[in-house]
Amino acid sequence: MVKFLKILPIAIKTGTVTIKYPYQEPLITESFRGAIEIDPNKCVGCGACTRICPPKALTMTIESNTIILKYFVGRCIFCGMCADTCPEKAISITKEFELATGNIFDLYADVEHEVKTCPICGKTFITRKLSDKIISKVPDIPLETMDLCPDCRRKETLKKFIGVPE
Amino acid sequence: MSSAIANSIQLLMEVSSIISKVIEFNEKVFGIEQRNGIVRIKIHRDVLPYVAQKLATTKGIYMRTMMASDERDLEGVYRLYYLFGIDREHINIVLEVAVPQEDPKVPTIVDIIKAADWYELEAHDMLGIEFIDRRLYRLVLPEDWPEKVYPLRKEYSVQDLMKLYRPKAVEYAKEIGAENIVVIPIGPYHPALHEPEFFEVYVSGERVIDAKYVGFMVHRGIEKLGENMKYDQVPFLAERICGICGFVHSTSYCQAVESALNTDVPERAQFIRSIILEIERIHSHLLWFGVALHLLGYDTGFMHSWRIREQVMVLAELLTGSRKTYGINVVGGVRRDIDNDKIRKAIEVLKNVEDEFKKLVEISINIPQVIARLKGTGVLPLGEAIALSLVGPTARGSGLDRDVRRDYPYAAYRYISFRVPTYSEGDNLARTLVRVDEVFESINMLYQLLDKVPSGEIRVESWTVEPYRLGVGSVEAPRGEVIHVLLTGRYSPYRWRVRAPTYQNLPAVSIMLKGVDLADVPLTIASIDPCFSCTDRAIVIDIGRSVIKTIPIEFLSLKGSKAIR
Amino acid sequence: MVQLLGGELNSKGIDLRKALSRIKRSIWVYHINTGSCNGCDIEILDVLTPYFDVERFGIKLVASPRHADLALLTGPITIKTFSKVYRALNAMPRPRFVLAIGSCAVGGNIWFESYSTLGGFPKALEMFSEMGLEIDGVVYVPGCPARPEAIIYGAATLLGLQKPKTRYRRFKA
Repeated sequence: MVKFLKILPIAIKTGTVTIKYPYQEPLITESFRGAIEIDPNKCVGCGACTRICPPKALTMTIESNTIILKYFVGRCIFCGMCADTCPEKAISITKEFELATGNIFDLYADVEHEVKTCPICGKTFITRKLSDKIISKVPDIPLETMDLCPDCRRKETLKKFIGVPE
Repeated sequence: MSSAIANSIQLLMEVSSIISKVIEFNEKVFGIEQRNGIVRIKIHRDVLPYVAQKLATTKGIYMRTMMASDERDLEGVYRLYYLFGIDREHINIVLEVAVPQEDPKVPTIVDIIKAADWYELEAHDMLGIEFIDRRLYRLVLPEDWPEKVYPLRKEYSVQDLMKLYRPKAVEYAKEIGAENIVVIPIGPYHPALHEPEFFEVYVSGERVIDAKYVGFMVHRGIEKLGENMKYDQVPFLAERICGICGFVHSTSYCQAVESALNTDVPERAQFIRSIILEIERIHSHLLWFGVALHLLGYDTGFMHSWRIREQVMVLAELLTGSRKTYGINVVGGVRRDIDNDKIRKAIEVLKNVEDEFKKLVEISINIPQVIARLKGTGVLPLGEAIALSLVGPTARGSGLDRDVRRDYPYAAYRYISFRVPTYSEGDNLARTLVRVDEVFESINMLYQLLDKVPSGEIRVESWTVEPYRLGVGSVEAPRGEVIHVLLTGRYSPYRWRVRAPTYQNLPAVSIMLKGVDLADVPLTIASIDPCFSCTDRAIVIDIGRSVIKTIPIEFLSLKGSKAIR
Repeated sequence: MVQLLGGELNSKGIDLRKALSRIKRSIWVYHINTGSCNGCDIEILDVLTPYFDVERFGIKLVASPRHADLALLTGPITIKTFSKVYRALNAMPRPRFVLAIGSCAVGGNIWFESYSTLGGFPKALEMFSEMGLEIDGVVYVPGCPARPEAIIYGAATLLGLQKPKTRYRRFKA
C-alpha cells in the first residue's frame, strides 16, 4: 500500500523545476526559430520567399501603384525556409515568440515597394528596386527596353530586329 | 543463424513460386518488374483475390498499405497499388490493378485480408471505386458530402472543392448549431467536443460487449493539398499530419521521393535523421507513459514522467530549432547540422533521462494497483495481430516481432546494433513494457549514433525529377510503421498516399475491448497509443437499459482505480 | 452586459478588465481540439506539468464547458467539428473568452485553403456573430506549435498581466 510513496525521495531530491515565466527568462535554446524579420532596406521584392513559404504566410499583392510583401505571423510555421531562400539575405530569424495579441491585424507586417509601370500598356510588373538590381548586375543590358513590361519588351525588340510589328 | 538463412531462402522460394503461379494466368498478368527492392506485378482485376490469397497465406507476408490513384490523364484508368511486405527481406511486392474509368469495379479482398477493410472504403470515398460483394459506406468524408464528388479525382482542384462543399456544409453546421437543443449534462459531464475521434462502446452492466470506432473528424484533405505543393514544401505539410510524431512523416515522405528518384542521401544526413527520430520516440513514449499513469489515476507518476520528458523537448529544440514539428527534413538531406558541442550536451541529457526514467519505472510499475489494472486486461492474441497486420508496439506486445528499423533498414539504422523488445502476453502490461524497454533501447541507440556521426555534407545540392516513378518510404514511428507511397509528378507529387500506424491498429481496439471492464476501456484504447488528445472520450451504450452517455475518458478510468483501493 | 468582441480588445483594455473582474477568482479553462495535429495539445498539457505549471496563475483545466471561463481552442476548425465548437462555446457562461492557440487556430496554417477546414478561428468568429453567439474576448497565440511560454504569455495577456507587444507594422522599401 505504501509502494507509491517511494516517489517522495525523488520529488524532494529534484526540488522545484518550475520556470517562473513571464517573470523569469523562458526556456529557449540558441537554435530556436521564432518569428522572421524582413529588413526593408535589403528587400528588393523578388518574391522568392512567397513561392517557397509552405503555408503561404508570405504573400505579394498589388495595391494601386505599390507591391506589398505581406507577412502574416499568425499563419507562419517558423520553418525558416524563406530566410534560407532569400537571395538578398533580407530575412532573418529572430527568437521572438511572445506574439500573443487580441487584435488579429497586429499580426501582419507589410513591406511596401515602389512599382514600375509600363509606359506603353500601363501594366505594373516589377518593383523598382528589383529592376535597378537587375540593371546593376547584368552587363550590356538594353536599357531602353528596361522600363517596359515583358510583353511590350518582346514586341519592341521584335520591332527593332524585324522592323515589322506583330 | 543458419536456420534463419534457411528460413529466408525458403520464403524467397515461396515468393518466386507465387510469382510463377501468377504467370500461369499469362493473359491476366501483364508484367513483372523489379527495382530498388520493389517488385511490381501488374495483374488483371479478376485475378486479384487469387493472388492476394496466395500472398496473404504465405507466412511472413502481410499487407502494408493500398494506394488508389487517378491516372486517367495518363492511361485512362484508375489504378490500385496493393503493397505487401515480406518481413525481414526488405522486399515490397506491389500488385498493380488497373480499373477502367467507365466501369470502376474491383473484387473485394476483405474476406481474405481483414486489414484491407478501411483501404477499400477510403478508395471508395475519395475516388469512387466500387468494390464488389461488400458493404460500402462513408468512412472519411462527412455525411453531408455531395454525392458523386470524389476529392482525389484530378478534375477537382482544391478551389473547386472549397466552392462545392464548404458553403453547404457551413449552412448545415449552422442549422445544427442554431437548433437550440437543450443538452442535459449527465452528472458533471457534458457531451460536447473534446475529441475529434470517439468510440461507441456497447456495454452490458460493467462489461464491454462490443466497440465501434466513429471518427475521421480530423480529415483535413492533406493528400489533395500535397498534390498542389512543391516537393520541398511537402515535408512541412507531412510533418503536420501528427504533432507528436511529425518527423517520422517528413522522413518517410523524403525517403519515398528519394527512392523513386534514386537519390543518394549523404551519410551524415542519414545519421542526423536517425538521431532526431530516436529523440522523437523517447519523447513520445515518455508522453505515453505519463498519460497511461494519468489514466490509471496515478497523477504523481504522470507529472514526473512529463518532467523527465521536458529535458528531451529542450534537447530536440537545441538540435533542430523547434520543440515539435522540427522542420529540418528536405528531399535529399536535412537543413540543420549538429556540432560537437551539441553532441556533448545531448549525451549529458540522455544520461540524465536514462537514470531518472529507470527510477520512475521501477517505482510506478511495481505499485500493486498499477499492476492490477494493467495485467490481463485488453488481451490481443497473436493470431488476431497477424490477421489484422498490426504494427509497432501493439504488435510487439502480442509477440509479433515486426520492426521496420530492422526489417527494412533506412537512415542510419544499418550501422548500429539494437534489439527489438517483444512480449508475448498481449495485454496492457505487455504493451507498456514494450514501450518502456524501447525508451532504454532508443537511448542506447542514440549513444551509438552520436558517437559514430560521420563528417561530410548534410544534403545533396540538386536532384532532378523524373515523372511517374513509384517510391515507397517507411519509417518505424513510436506507434508503428508509417508508410508513404508516392508517384512522382513533374513539379509536385502526382499521388501521395500516407498510411499512419493508428490506421492499421485501431481495428484491433474492438477486439481488445471485448470482455474488459468499463473502467479499463480508456487504458485499453490508450494502449495502442492513438494520438491521445484525439481519443479522449467514449460513448457508453448500455444494452440492458439502452442509456447513452458520453463520459470523458479520465472519469471512466478513475472509477476503476477507486474500486481497487 | 459588457460588449467586447475580439478585435476591440486592445482599444477597450479597461473594459476587458472590468469584464474579467466578474471572474472573482481563478480562470477555469476548457480544451477544444478542432482537428489540430496534437502538437499544440501536448504543449497545452505541458503547460500544466512541472516545468511551466500554469496553476501558478490559478488556471485549471476542467472537463465541461459549463464550468469554464476560457476555451483553449486548437486546430483549423474542420467542417465536421464546427457545429460542435458552436455548442461547446454556447454552453460556456458569460463572460466567455477564447484563447486561439497555434497557427491553425489563428490563420488556418498550411490548410487554410483545404476543402474540409474553415481556416482558423477568425472565420468562425464571423459566423458565430451571425449566429448570435457572443464571445467576450479573443487572444491569438501564434506558433507552430505554440510553445508553452507562448501559451502562458497569451494567458497573461488575457489576464492583463502583460501588454501585447506585437503591433501592425508597415515599412517602405
